[in-house]
Amino acid sequence: MTTDPKTITRRSALGLLAAGAAGYAAFGPERRRLRRDGRVVLDYWEKWTSHEAAAMQTVVDRFNESQSAIFVNYLTMGGIDQKAKVAIAAGDPPDVLGLWNRNLPFFSQCGAIMPLDGLRDYGIDESTYAKAVGPLVFRGGRQLAAPSTPSSIALYYNKAIFREVGLDPDAPPRTIEAFDEAIDRLTILDGDGNVERAGFLPTDPGWWSWCWGGFFGGHLYDERTGRATVDSAPNIAGYDWFQSFPKRWGLDKLRRFQGAPIDNPSPYRNFFSGRLATTIQGPWLPKFMDMELGPGVFDYGACPFPVPAALADQPPYGPIEADILVIPTGARNPEASLEFIAFTQRPENIETLCAGHAKPSPLATSSEGFIRDHPNTAVAVHEEILQSPNAYTTPWITGWAEFGMALGAGLDQIWNLKSPSAAGPLGEVQIEAEAILQREQERRQRRNQPDPWESA
Amino acid sequence: MRHDSLGTGLLWIGPWLLGFLFFTIVPVSLALYYGFTDYTLLEAPIPVGTQNYERMFSDEILGTVLWNTAVFGVLSIVIGTITSISLAALLSKPARFQSFWRAAVFAPSVLPLVAIAVIFKLAYDPDPEVGLANQIIEWFTFGLVQGPNWFGSGFWAMTALLLMSLWSVGPAVVIYLAGLRDVPKQLHEAASIDGVGPIGRFFHVVLPMISPVILFNVIIGVINAAQVFAVPLIMTGGGPERSTYFHSMYVYDQAFKFGDMGYASALGVLQFAIILALTGIILLAGRRLVYYRGA
Repeated sequence: MTTDPKTITRRSALGLLAAGAAGYAAFGPERRRLRRDGRVVLDYWEKWTSHEAAAMQTVVDRFNESQSAIFVNYLTMGGIDQKAKVAIAAGDPPDVLGLWNRNLPFFSQCGAIMPLDGLRDYGIDESTYAKAVGPLVFRGGRQLAAPSTPSSIALYYNKAIFREVGLDPDAPPRTIEAFDEAIDRLTILDGDGNVERAGFLPTDPGWWSWCWGGFFGGHLYDERTGRATVDSAPNIAGYDWFQSFPKRWGLDKLRRFQGAPIDNPSPYRNFFSGRLATTIQGPWLPKFMDMELGPGVFDYGACPFPVPAALADQPPYGPIEADILVIPTGARNPEASLEFIAFTQRPENIETLCAGHAKPSPLATSSEGFIRDHPNTAVAVHEEILQSPNAYTTPWITGWAEFGMALGAGLDQIWNLKSPSAAGPLGEVQIEAEAILQREQERRQRRNQPDPWESA
Repeated sequence: MRHDSLGTGLLWIGPWLLGFLFFTIVPVSLALYYGFTDYTLLEAPIPVGTQNYERMFSDEILGTVLWNTAVFGVLSIVIGTITSISLAALLSKPARFQSFWRAAVFAPSVLPLVAIAVIFKLAYDPDPEVGLANQIIEWFTFGLVQGPNWFGSGFWAMTALLLMSLWSVGPAVVIYLAGLRDVPKQLHEAASIDGVGPIGRFFHVVLPMISPVILFNVIIGVINAAQVFAVPLIMTGGGPERSTYFHSMYVYDQAFKFGDMGYASALGVLQFAIILALTGIILLAGRRLVYYRGA
């Protein structure tokens, strides 16, 4: 009996499968552990793109040039916190990971990152960093992460429009009351009450839903008791102020105003085009001005965001955030990872990185050259906030993602005037937040983990 | 010989069986198990009994997402079924460039969902200079009616998603077209001789004859609607005020954003149970309502 040459036999099928598997094993994806020159390869995952990625690439290149034992393989990607969770859970994490400070409570509580206590050997401790930056990465006396680029949020304003309406561009409003008056002068309405130019809009860009109570002295969470304080009086005052804008100009008119011209999809379009006279933004804004409008074209100023008159004499209030570097649990070469992180924390490297991002330095002091040559002429304002005891960030809780989403839904209700005051929606968020915190506590008890306020 | 055939058959379907085992059976079994645990993904799961399932009864957000998913499911299936049957009926008529029209109806469904969502997000821009939807409304009403702010309220955001769901009726239209071609001409002729008009023939001849196809499409529609995810995630992010926050989005958020894989697994099991129950109910109803020729 002969076999039809067109028939695929079992043996040939098995052979094909085996050849495929062998080929995959031999030539498929492989994580390099050693280079040909014998240097240990560190995989470093980061989340930046464009000029921000390039700034870190410069630091990585410097490190690689300075080394004969370690080589950093720098990869940038989106959705890094979620990818990192899967990679760590699968036991195949990168060696160094770039996250945000808001990720730190969850990752540290779950034991997914290794403490960076070894940085002390490189002369790094809490005093190395600006006053408000240290608490972002230290907990219970231990360093859990290293800040890479911090940011503080401030009020940016268009100086030309200030001059046009008779406001002093060198004396921006310091109090909410003065700011409200300025907003009225800066705003232009047409005959039908449509907004042609807005003095300020808290939803443009609307990236920091958690910040509004803080300017009025409020906190979302009390670390000493572990309780949510969303519906406290200062928070209600802050979010009532937030709601005053749709009340002042009308929700429909604001919705129309915020419709975008198609030729400029930038999130900064209203401020850059002069339709918005002031905006709440981070230190990176001037970098985008230069990129989108041309270097030095836009005449801007910046100051700490105004606060109620009763708080005006205090050091500046302002939200802060930080990009951070961590070593995931299961990283293959933690000592080498630590060496790389320590290298990034050297003043000359951190300043290169932060200047490339147009952000302030996380260090306690900055060099003269850093401030002088910084792409943001108002970087001193951001550094001042980073040194302030009144700077604030997202609560140190593992459930912040869920808490923040609940707050965002409450904010929608407040903005859409579903309630005459912010008190109602904030009360609902408070209930949701307490349930989230309760679940967190139960989880900690189940795992015999300490409550975070014990180490705060 | 028979044994040899079995071996050969198993060998050929072996890769598929392995894939089914490792990428379906194992994950589904793990999800069933994790549903009874406290599992953050980053720590070992701890058994918690039925706690995740008990939590569902007091979870107001779950109520919201189930309601949203049900509203979207019912309306998108009803609107989609009417639209696709109507389109199929039109396309089944002899016409010039018939192939072109059929391809035109099917073509949108081959585009990636993410690209469609981004395009529609622009089309729904409230500024009439930008948003095509509001331009069309203003054009048809000679500028008397201003289009809505599509993503500014729950009602309009849901409406926007429902209208967008019609973009991908192509595959259903193709199946209905095949069903319509299967309706025997003799039945049409017999009904005509009895004096039944085109509308009467459609309702009393065509619809019963294509009822098995409708049943199939409705079941597929239920499964798709229960799993709606990418488009609302991109277009609305679930807002405003969670009005377009759907069950699959909630499962994803619980698993990967909130780090509660245990609860997410339980929610996934709930989703599976709901789809299974709805499919069973539809099949049972189909026994009464669906006409199977030759059965």
